[in-house]
Amino acid sequence: MNEIIPTLAIFWLLMITSFILIKRGLSIFNDVAKSMGMFMLEKALGPAIDFVKGEPGSASKTWILHGMIWAMVASIFTFEGLWLSHDPTALHSLGSWGYSPDSQDLIYAGRFAALFGAVGMMVIGAGLHVIPSLSGTKLASESNATLVSLLWTFSVLVLVIGAHSKEIFGINIILVGTALQTLAMMAIILNQLLTISNATRPMAMPGWLIIFGLIGDPAAVLSVLLSGAYETGVGHWLVYHMIGGTFFFCGIAGISLYASSMGSGNPLWSRTLVGVTLFGAIIAINPMGETDMSMAVDMLGLEASEMATSSQDHIYGSFLMALAVIPIIAFSSNLLVTLRGDGAFVGNGDSPGIAEMNMGAWMLIPIAIGSLFVQTDALGGAGELSGIAQSLDLLAVWAVLIPLSLGASLYVLPQASGRKVMSSNRSRAAFWLMSGGAVAGLTFTIMADLNDMALAEALTENSSSITDELRALGSVVFYGTVLGSIFHCTNAISGQFRGERLGDELQSSTTLSPQTYELTSSTSVRKILASGATLDTEIMPVTQSDEAGSVTEL
Amino acid sequence: MSDEGSGHITEFIQGEKEPESSYVVIMIGVVSMLSFLVLYGVLYPGRDMPVVSELLPMFEGVFDSGIWFFLLGAMLGFFAIFATMMAEATSE
Repeated sequence: MNEIIPTLAIFWLLMITSFILIKRGLSIFNDVAKSMGMFMLEKALGPAIDFVKGEPGSASKTWILHGMIWAMVASIFTFEGLWLSHDPTALHSLGSWGYSPDSQDLIYAGRFAALFGAVGMMVIGAGLHVIPSLSGTKLASESNATLVSLLWTFSVLVLVIGAHSKEIFGINIILVGTALQTLAMMAIILNQLLTISNATRPMAMPGWLIIFGLIGDPAAVLSVLLSGAYETGVGHWLVYHMIGGTFFFCGIAGISLYASSMGSGNPLWSRTLVGVTLFGAIIAINPMGETDMSMAVDMLGLEASEMATSSQDHIYGSFLMALAVIPIIAFSSNLLVTLRGDGAFVGNGDSPGIAEMNMGAWMLIPIAIGSLFVQTDALGGAGELSGIAQSLDLLAVWAVLIPLSLGASLYVLPQASGRKVMSSNRSRAAFWLMSGGAVAGLTFTIMADLNDMALAEALTENSSSITDELRALGSVVFYGTVLGSIFHCTNAISGQFRGERLGDELQSSTTLSPQTYELTSSTSVRKILASGATLDTEIMPVTQSDEAGSVTEL
Repeated sequence: MSDEGSGHITEFIQGEKEPESSYVVIMIGVVSMLSFLVLYGVLYPGRDMPVVSELLPMFEGVFDSGIWFFLLGAMLGFFAIFATMMAEATSE
């Protein structure tokens, strides 16, 4: 039975309906819906809403800082998981405290912390700054968005605990975490929709990517429930990839395209390519992710089913995954060309997030194509490449999703809080540690996976010592990611208290490095630079008259 | 060299940016500790360290994997973040 197309048809219908409703409103119910929405976001919460400040930018700042801390937690869990894959008894001493995780538990917990804690919180946090900024208005409720960040963080904590033990006292912990997260997500969607309803100008395309990213999450779940595909393995696989293609891919694309343009000072390269990214992400199936659907199954409280694809499902699924390469390439190229600008600059040294976004955009295409092969293989039921699926998924998380969301957040955080990170040098060191650790460490792990696959194919009984050595090397090198994430956290937190204020930039203008250069007549670049101007000096044309002067009348 | 030039030089080598006293005390402590350890090894070769040799067996079977060195670093980092938050929030 064909399940992919009917489910996707419902998903497309839901997305189109959402778009029409957002653009046209609810007719005579508009005012009532807005008033009700604002009431639910603020007054209905009673005294709880008074626990947080509603200053402009506070919500975005809180979400991003939480996301950075979750990135650190996720990196520690992933490091432990990688280590235990070659030394399973390394943490056995914790068993006396009742905690004896294995490698899979830790990597699973790390994925929850990385995807929903780090990436999810940074995407939502940056979106809370980007949408009001592009709409020319203020966030509908800063207080609610700030308060909800605590609920989301709590839900991620519950999910991380659930990754270790799914049931505690007979309660399905992961389902509880999902319920809490859904509540927080609904509040954020409502907040953002109310914000764009007060827009004073048409919102640019990156804003729509973020909005569709947010709406895509519940729409994906709803479409699988409505089509009845939630009982099958194909349905689980599909909902996992639909959420990956909308909430994660669209959300990250929206915030990073905005941050790449604003951070580098270059105009966005192509609006058409942003449209292709948005349209393609909704139409196609994003191939990035695991072949094991347990995350979707656990989060929705479903019964795990074997992947039994019909030939039609295999053809449609493979075609739609191949189609996803178009929006992926469109997004990557748009981001890279925007960062590069007109060729004069490769990056703006003043924006710490530029390097992260550059790296994420470069890594996106090879990892997406690698994932396409692995997922097509898994959808066909062959499973010949399933041995590298987990490591490739980790590589997608740590070399694409986290760098892109972190890079955009590093640009947005100073804009939201008014203070830069403490040190650009420490930020650069953290980037090298994080990216080097993730790419090199996980590449070694993939080499070990390939070695294991080759040995399994050759029906070798004893595992090779080189596999363990590669896994040990991979986990040790991945420790750089842990250090990098710690550096990023301390740098960002210190910056919130003692970092340079954004408003102070103009006051730092001196005769040695002027902020502005007044251009009264045509001159050469050499002369402008010789006067002390730097690459960041703003050239201000000053109008003058060629009329002859005369005596001033007293 | 002119008088004005030599005046600039003496001003230049005054050394006005002193390290903080706390760092000086910590470094003196670290250097002293290492010196005494070396001295103990020279004076009492082959003998176990007092106190330390009695404490270490308590951790046998606990920190018996290399992962603990890395986790110690991660814990230090975690507490560094916590300390940064506390110190920054409570400072003037």
